[in-house]
Amino acid sequence: MKALTAEGLSFGYGNELIFDGFSLAIESGEFLGIIGPNGSGKSTLLRLLNGTLRPLRGVVNVLGKEINRLSRKEIAQTIALVPQESFFAFEWTVQEVVLMGRNPYLKLLERPRQEDLNKVAETMKLTGVQMLATKSINSISAGEKQRVLLARALAQEPQILLLDEATSHLDLAHQVALLQILKILNEQGKTIVLVSHDLNEAALCSRLLLLAQGKTIACDIPAKVLTPDLIRAAYGLEPVVTKHPCTGKPQVLFPPI
Amino acid sequence: MSSKRRLSWAVIVLLLIFSGVLSILTGPGGFSYRILNQVLLFRLPRVLVGVVAGGVLAVVGGAFQGLLRNPLVDPWTLGVASGAALGAAFAIVTGTGSSVLLPVFAFSGAVLAIALVYVLARGRGGLTVIRLVLAGVIVSFFFSSLVMLVMVISHRSLGEAVYLMMGSLTVVFTRKSLGLFVISAILALAGCGWLMVHNRELDVISLSEETALSLGVDVQRLTRMVFLVGSVAVGLIIAWTGAISFVGLVVPHLVRMLFGPKHSQVLPGSFLLGAGVLLFADVLVRTLTPTGLPLSVVTALVGVPFFIYLLRTRV
Repeated sequence: MKALTAEGLSFGYGNELIFDGFSLAIESGEFLGIIGPNGSGKSTLLRLLNGTLRPLRGVVNVLGKEINRLSRKEIAQTIALVPQESFFAFEWTVQEVVLMGRNPYLKLLERPRQEDLNKVAETMKLTGVQMLATKSINSISAGEKQRVLLARALAQEPQILLLDEATSHLDLAHQVALLQILKILNEQGKTIVLVSHDLNEAALCSRLLLLAQGKTIACDIPAKVLTPDLIRAAYGLEPVVTKHPCTGKPQVLFPPI
Repeated sequence: MSSKRRLSWAVIVLLLIFSGVLSILTGPGGFSYRILNQVLLFRLPRVLVGVVAGGVLAVVGGAFQGLLRNPLVDPWTLGVASGAALGAAFAIVTGTGSSVLLPVFAFSGAVLAIALVYVLARGRGGLTVIRLVLAGVIVSFFFSSLVMLVMVISHRSLGEAVYLMMGSLTVVFTRKSLGLFVISAILALAGCGWLMVHNRELDVISLSEETALSLGVDVQRLTRMVFLVGSVAVGLIIAWTGAISFVGLVVPHLVRMLFGPKHSQVLPGSFLLGAGVLLFADVLVRTLTPTGLPLSVVTALVGVPFFIYLLRTRV
């Protein structure tokens, strides 16, 4: 079963097309990384995949169903997005923010049930933010905020988890911890799509999509995507690619500066 | 519920009762059983108008602020109030001011104003704080000028025009107009009820449009409905009171400070506090000068410093 497919997507802001006839298929249970230079369309692609943006042409299918035929709530019960960052205009507590992840399961006027509160407590524990529950979302650090947003996404109990540079504000320890959580979720069967600027983080994915200017440069296992030739083609840079001494996965090092 | 929260609810309920009683007691002749008839005929309707007006303006202000994630918007800064005043002015000068056309014109004006602001503010990069407030101010000025123009060329007094643009709870009811007011009030309250029913969706959209979409909210529909329902409710009230400023802006902030940003608290809290505050402002208006003042003179004197405070700390 395909978790997500995009067929012949075209999309642009204003007159310029970012994607023109773009296609992609993501298997259920896959851990896909999307990499590419700034402006290559990574974030836009995520938003086309969860229906936040509508393509000019082409269709997106979620678990075999056309996304336009699903209600927003049905989509939100299947796909969750962890955004890059979030601005909060009002003083929400961390727990209130995570509880909003249960919105897709609540009817009008329905109060959160015990199972909703349990789910929220569980995901906050998983991402290590349970101690922050009563703190204001504006008083915590950027790294903590990002883990709160992950907890909210997991509270949606999604089968498909999209992450838009979700580790960009995290220190090394928290980055590794988050990647471990993602690995466990993936082993439990969730489909994960990770947009990242960190090529070594992306090397942990089971498959990598390398984008440049809305076009697929390569889509394959990391060892075949993180090669000097392809990285040069996408980023215009001569990197040093080596192998991780323990895992054997490709590692991309800075060129001499 | 925490004890602090319970105390806060008690305070705003008591403020409303206090202002209501004060409003009944204030007026020529003070209060005695001798003038009970007069009290029932003039002051009690005034209290009812004040409760509904203050409550509706504050609830709609709170909903607009949540919807647009912007502490500076309310029915007045978004031009809705002046749109409604223009509609009411049209009804008055065409001699239909005591017919059903008064509230109909007023809410049509309100909806026209919000639509205009929405179109003006919606540019590349979506709705921004600056564009919205700017568009609101421009539309407000434009419609206020039209109110003046329409009233003056129809040989109405400037005083009448000023009260229309700055608000008053002095409504002289006939039997027919009282019935119309009651219907307007019930519809406006129903609008507030609709907003309160959608409190959780307002919570989610107050984070961001994208977040709301990915959490299952039909953002486009919610945005249009909140604008529509809010403007109609405000228009139905302003038809009778004229445009009252700052209540819808300041009150929801105070309520958020007390209860946090959840709309299940903010909207009912805003209704009670908005009603109390407006009644109190009306008592001041009637006692400060022998001739009375437009309501917005008092609400703006308090509201503008608060607006500046918000501008310097929150935007």
